[in-house]
Amino acid sequence: MNTSLISLELAVVGLGLAFLLLDLWTPAELKRQLGHAAAVCTALLFVFSFFVDASYVREAFASAYVMDPLAIYFKRFFLLAGTIVLVLQVQYADRIKSGISEYYSLTLFALAGMMFTASAMNFAVMFASLELVTITLYVLTSFQRNRLESLEAGVKYLIMGGLASALMVFGIAFVYGSAGSFVFIDIYEKSSTLIGNSVFLIGLLLVLVGLAFKIAAFPYQIWAPDVYQGSPAPTTALLAVGSKAAGIVLLLRIIYGVAPGVMHQWAPVLIAISAISILYGNLCAIAQTSLKRLFGYSSIAHAGYLLLGLAALNATGASAVLYYLTGYLFTVLAGFAVLVVALQQLDSDDLSGLAGLNERSPLLATAMTMSMVSLAGIPPLAGFFGKFLLFKAALEEGAMQPAFYWLVAVAIVGVVISIWYYFNVIRAIYWPRQKADLTPITVPLPIKATLALCMAGMLFLGIFPSIPLELTSRAAAVLPWLH
Amino acid sequence: MSAPDLLFYLFAGLTLLSALLVVANPFSRNPVTSAMFLVLTMVFLSGLFVLLHAFFLAAVQILVYAGAVMVLFLFVIMLLDVKEEERRRIKAFSLGLGATGVGGLFLLIVISIFKGESGAGGYPRIEGSTFELGRLLFTNYLLPFEIVSVLLLVAMVGAILLSKKDLK
Repeated sequence: MNTSLISLELAVVGLGLAFLLLDLWTPAELKRQLGHAAAVCTALLFVFSFFVDASYVREAFASAYVMDPLAIYFKRFFLLAGTIVLVLQVQYADRIKSGISEYYSLTLFALAGMMFTASAMNFAVMFASLELVTITLYVLTSFQRNRLESLEAGVKYLIMGGLASALMVFGIAFVYGSAGSFVFIDIYEKSSTLIGNSVFLIGLLLVLVGLAFKIAAFPYQIWAPDVYQGSPAPTTALLAVGSKAAGIVLLLRIIYGVAPGVMHQWAPVLIAISAISILYGNLCAIAQTSLKRLFGYSSIAHAGYLLLGLAALNATGASAVLYYLTGYLFTVLAGFAVLVVALQQLDSDDLSGLAGLNERSPLLATAMTMSMVSLAGIPPLAGFFGKFLLFKAALEEGAMQPAFYWLVAVAIVGVVISIWYYFNVIRAIYWPRQKADLTPITVPLPIKATLALCMAGMLFLGIFPSIPLELTSRAAAVLPWLH
Repeated sequence: MSAPDLLFYLFAGLTLLSALLVVANPFSRNPVTSAMFLVLTMVFLSGLFVLLHAFFLAAVQILVYAGAVMVLFLFVIMLLDVKEEERRRIKAFSLGLGATGVGGLFLLIVISIFKGESGAGGYPRIEGSTFELGRLLFTNYLLPFEIVSVLLLVAMVGAILLSKKDLK
């Protein structure tokens, strides 16, 4: 057993404990700055992760935990997202009335949970780490106890999340009962004999239901807009990027690495879920005036796009999903960084609060515009190339399963609809309906750095796709189905 | 029908009945009654574990859940002085939607169980002995075990934060 493989996670858990204790000896006026210290630590861990050797597959804990290119890809993803979210939290600190250091350390624990999901190779680790993420997020969503919306978001997320977890455990029990193993790779080897066993199939279905909840895909999307709107903005950012990516990495492992044969049969179901998510998210987003709610609906649509790549079940699809998620990280976090700074003085997150942002702070306006353009999938930014890759993966399968052509058609309609509401945000910035107050906003240095990083990421992924594409296809290549 | 089969149906039926009475008791809306039925559910559930030869789990179920956890539940209910719940009116639409969802899932599961091959899965690895269970827990399943310990810490910190009286 090689415990050095979990060094990154151990470090993050250790950081979480350290910041929980540091709170005791830190004077009240310095507590806010603890977040910057935490962000520096996670950034250092991000750098350190490039020295971790993950070029080949290494296992620990009786094949329950794996360190391979896919796992390290997602660990870096989570560390980067965690660092940015911590910076946003410092900026948001004056709106958190109590326990700001706990806000940081709980985020670190959620981060550790996400990093464990990236390496989970059996159902027990998968469930435990997913629960670590979800339960921490229950607390983080209801962190602004003085705001009723935040508490409401917490309760809604708790009830829906509890139901999803219960269904997932039920499913895991069925899978274990029929396959006789928790370990993904064992089940993969037996999967040809299990394909006709309906107990195994219902178990797998229930596990997928639990994961569909995490990524907010169609029949389990109902919580997303309310929870996104009610939670504190940095928590929403963590939900949108981290929680979704944790669901996606497990979907990749299960769809491509537990029973791909079954998934091949179920392609029509995945196609339908993907199409409905895309249409539902995009159509509902049109009428929104709350920025966070808009992000909530757009996140449902993006779950649909990601499912499109998962349903394709080919190498292009898996690598496109990774590429798209990485672009999504920079894009969404840039949007949330602007949201946190620009709407600091306001109590709401209404679109009208962005009015005249281009004169108040050109940097924020540019970042928000780029974020929206990238989300809408317009070249040359990351969102365009990600969608292009996903559609390409689906079209490759179109010859065998004509439904994929329809799915791509629906997705393109979805993209066209989405341009409408994303540009609505841009219009709210540059051409406001009513006179805006034009006091300049001073953007603090850490936020400037974050925005610069996100904008650079969006441009880089959009203009030089070959380098990241090589990384994503190497990461995706470890999935058993693609050998 | 042999004696274990009979006992299984007895315990399973009683578990379902008392679980139903926890959430939908037609005679009482008192939270304490619900909690007591939850105790009964746990006890009958441990009977099912005994039938599966999982003696350790059965003992833990009684000691930890029926004993410790439920005592805490009762403490909380009594300390908060929870009054009888008012009956809430549920809209016919949401009731219908919920019933369709639950019914559909139930049907799907029942059909797959009857269609599926019974006992196609694994054989029992460990037969109830604490020693084997402990060894497995601290070797193969050490990682989830430790993750759960972090989870419990998070839950504790979260509960304190969310229930603290003053917001400073």
